[in-house]
Amino acid sequence: MKSYPTRAIALLGAALLTATVAACSAGSGTSGGSSPGGDQSLTIGLVAEPASLDFTTTDGAAIPQVLLGNVYNGLVKQDESGKIVPDLAKSWTVSPDRKTYTFELVDNAKFTNGAGFTAADAVFSINRVKTAWTTSLKAAMDVVQEAKAVSPTQLQVTLTKPSNGWLFRMTTRVGAMFSQTGVEKLASDPVGTGPYKFGSWKRGDSIVLQRNDAYWGTKPFFNQVTLKYFKDPTALNNALLTGTINVVGTVQAPEALTQFTSNTKYQVIEGTTNGEVVLSFNNSRPVFKDIRVRQAIRQAIDHKALLDTCFAGRGKLIGSMVPPTDPWYEDLTSVAPFDKAKATAELKAAGATGATLRLRLPTLPYATSCGQVVKSQLEQVGLKVTIDQLEFPAAWLTTVFKNADYDMSIIAHVEPRDLGAVFNAKYYTRYDDPTLVSLLAAADAGDEAAQTDNMKKAARRISEQAAADWLYLIPNLVVADKNLTGLPTNAITESFDLTRLARS
Amino acid sequence: MRRLNPSLVVGAVIVGLIVLTALVSFVWTPYDATLVDPAIRLAKPSWSHWLGTDKFGRDVLSQLMVGSRTTLFVGLVAVGVAAVIGVPVGILAAMSRRWASEVIMRSNDLLLAFPALLLAIMFGAVFGASTLTAMVAIGIATVPSFARVIRSGALQVMRTEYVLAARAAGRTPFPIALRHVLPNVTSLITVQASVSFAIAVLAEAALSFLGYGTPPPTPSWGRMLQESQEFLFSAPRLAVFPGVAIAIAVLGFNLLGDGLRDRFDPKLEDRR
Repeated sequence: MKSYPTRAIALLGAALLTATVAACSAGSGTSGGSSPGGDQSLTIGLVAEPASLDFTTTDGAAIPQVLLGNVYNGLVKQDESGKIVPDLAKSWTVSPDRKTYTFELVDNAKFTNGAGFTAADAVFSINRVKTAWTTSLKAAMDVVQEAKAVSPTQLQVTLTKPSNGWLFRMTTRVGAMFSQTGVEKLASDPVGTGPYKFGSWKRGDSIVLQRNDAYWGTKPFFNQVTLKYFKDPTALNNALLTGTINVVGTVQAPEALTQFTSNTKYQVIEGTTNGEVVLSFNNSRPVFKDIRVRQAIRQAIDHKALLDTCFAGRGKLIGSMVPPTDPWYEDLTSVAPFDKAKATAELKAAGATGATLRLRLPTLPYATSCGQVVKSQLEQVGLKVTIDQLEFPAAWLTTVFKNADYDMSIIAHVEPRDLGAVFNAKYYTRYDDPTLVSLLAAADAGDEAAQTDNMKKAARRISEQAAADWLYLIPNLVVADKNLTGLPTNAITESFDLTRLARS
Repeated sequence: MRRLNPSLVVGAVIVGLIVLTALVSFVWTPYDATLVDPAIRLAKPSWSHWLGTDKFGRDVLSQLMVGSRTTLFVGLVAVGVAAVIGVPVGILAAMSRRWASEVIMRSNDLLLAFPALLLAIMFGAVFGASTLTAMVAIGIATVPSFARVIRSGALQVMRTEYVLAARAAGRTPFPIALRHVLPNVTSLITVQASVSFAIAVLAEAALSFLGYGTPPPTPSWGRMLQESQEFLFSAPRLAVFPGVAIAIAVLGFNLLGDGLRDRFDPKLEDRR
C-alpha cells in the first residue's frame, strides 16, 4: 500500500465520476463468450467526460474508464471479485525475496498502429511512467529498480523492496502498455493492444470506439460502442427511456430508479464500487486536532438516515476506507455508532460547542444532498455549519484539494485501495499519523497474511481516530436494455469493461 | 371617479400577498424550513404538513414561505442595480450630444445582445455561486432595457417648453436632469421596474435550478424545482408547488407592471 503514491489524486476522478468505474472483465484475456454481433452497435450514457485522452499527463477517472481494458491492455488486470488475473502477461512468477517478478507475455498481441507487442514495449511503458508521466500516480513506479526484456516474450522487473502494492497498481492505468512508436498523440489518438480502437471524439458529446479486428484475444460482440456524456442525471435517464442510449452507466438519481424497475423493458444491476463518500476533515485546523471533536462529529451523524435521504437508501455503510471487495474489509460501522447525546457531551467537554465549521461542497448532486443532511444533524448537537458550494472541478480542486482552505468537505474517492493515499499529511486531509504510516509500510512489505492483517489494523486505526467520516459506499447502479448481457455487477476497477457486453 | 384597473388590482393583490408571506416568514413558519427529518421524508400533503415534505423531510410550505424572501430579495436588488445604473445612463444619453448619445446607446445594445443567463453563469463561475452574484448579474443584464426606456422618455421631456425655458435661463444640465427630467420619467421607471422584477424572479429560479443561484440549504423556489427533478415520476407535487409559486409571482408582477403602465400612460387616458 505504501508504494502507492502518497499524494495520488484519487480525487479528480473520484469526484468526477462518483460511481462510474465499472469492473474489469473476469477471466484471463479470453473475455466474453459471445460471437461478434456483426455490425451491431451500442450507446452507453455516462456522466463525466474526460478532459483529455492522455492519462499519463491528465488526472481524472473518466479517461481510464473509457480506455483501460478497452483500448489499452495491462500485463495484469483485476477480475470482478478483485483478484489479479493475467492480461498481456500469460503468467508470472515472484522470486523468494519477493523483489523480482518474471512475466511470460503473449506472443500474438499487436498495437493498433501495426507494431507487435513485445517485452521491449513493456520495459518502455514501465520506464516511461518514471520519465514522462506527470500525474502524481507515477509514484507507483518509484519502487521499480529495473525492468528488463529477457526475450521478446519474457519481462523481468526488479523492485527495490518487496511491495504488494506494486503488482496491484499494475492493474490500474499505471500498468497500461504503450507502443514505443505510438505515444506522440496520446491526448487525441491513443494506440493500444485492446479489443477496441479509438474512433472519434466529439467534444462535449461523445467518444466512439471501434472493434479492433486484429485483437489478439476474443473479439468483442459490438462493432462500435459510443460513450455519450450527460451533465444532467435526469437527462441521462430520459435518454434511456427515449432509446437514445442503451445503458445508463451510472445512475446519479437513484430516486428515479422506480421508473426502470417497474418497466419490463429494462434491467437494473446493483453491485458495489470503490467509491467511498467521505466527509473529510481538515486535520490541520485547530478544532480538528482534538479527537473528541472528530469522534463527536462521526457520532452525531445518523448514517442510515443520511443514506436514505441522499441516495435513496442504496449503497452500503462501511465505517472506514475499505470496500467489501478488498480482502481486508471489516464492517467498522460500530466504531462510531449514532449517539446524539454522547456527541453533544463530547463537544461540550472539548469546548467546541457553538464552533462554526465551514463545509465546502463541490457542485455535485450527491455532495449537495448529503451536505444538507450533515449540516442539519451537526447543528442538532451544538455545532454551527456554513455551507458554500464550489464549482466542480476547477474551484473545488483549487480551494479544497490543493490549498486545503476548508474545514469539512464531501467527496467520493473512487480509486481502488486508496486508504494510504487519502490519509496522509500531504493530502488535502492533512492527516499526520506515524502509527498509520508504519502500519501501511508493514502491509506493503509483508506477505499476504501480514498485508491483510496490517491493512485491517490501518482501517480500524483511521476509523477509531476519526480521521474523517465515511458517509457511505456508492453502489454500482446500472440500468440497461433487458437484452444486454455481460454488464458488470461490481465496479471496482478504473475501467468500464466493454469487452463482455453482448446482446442476447 | 376613475374605474378600477383590474390588472393593477389583481397584480397588486398578488404582489402584496407575496410580500406579506415573506414578512410573516421572518416571525413564523409552520416548521423550521431547513430542518432535515428523514423519518418523514416525502410525506404526502396532510393536516400536519399541508403541502407535504421533500426528500429531506423538510416542510414544503415552510420552504415556499422562506423561499419567497429569496425571490423578493433577488428581485429588489436586481431591479435596484438595473435602475441605479440604467436610469442615469438613459438620461445621460438623452441629454448628450448626438455622437455621445450614439456611443452610449450602441454600448448599451452590445450589453443587450449578451444573454442574461450566460452573464449570470459567468459571474457564478468567477465569483462563486451565491444569491448576491446572481442578483448583481441579473441586475447588470437588465440595465440596457432600463436605459432604453428611460432615454426615450427623457427625450420627450427634453423637448418640452419648461426644459427649453430652463436651458434658456442658463440652468446647467445636472439640475435640469434632477429637477425636470427625473421626476417626469418616474412613472416609466415604476413600470419598467415591475416588469424587470418578474424577469429577475424567473432568472433567479433558472439560476438556482442550474446550481448557480442560491446555495443550499437556503430555500429558493428555483432550487426546490431543481431538487424535485428526480421525483417527477414518484412525487410530482414537489415540482408543482414551487412551479406554481413562480408562475403566480411572475404573473403578479407582470399584471402590476401592465396596470401601472395603463395608469400612467397619458395616451391611454381615454380608455380609462
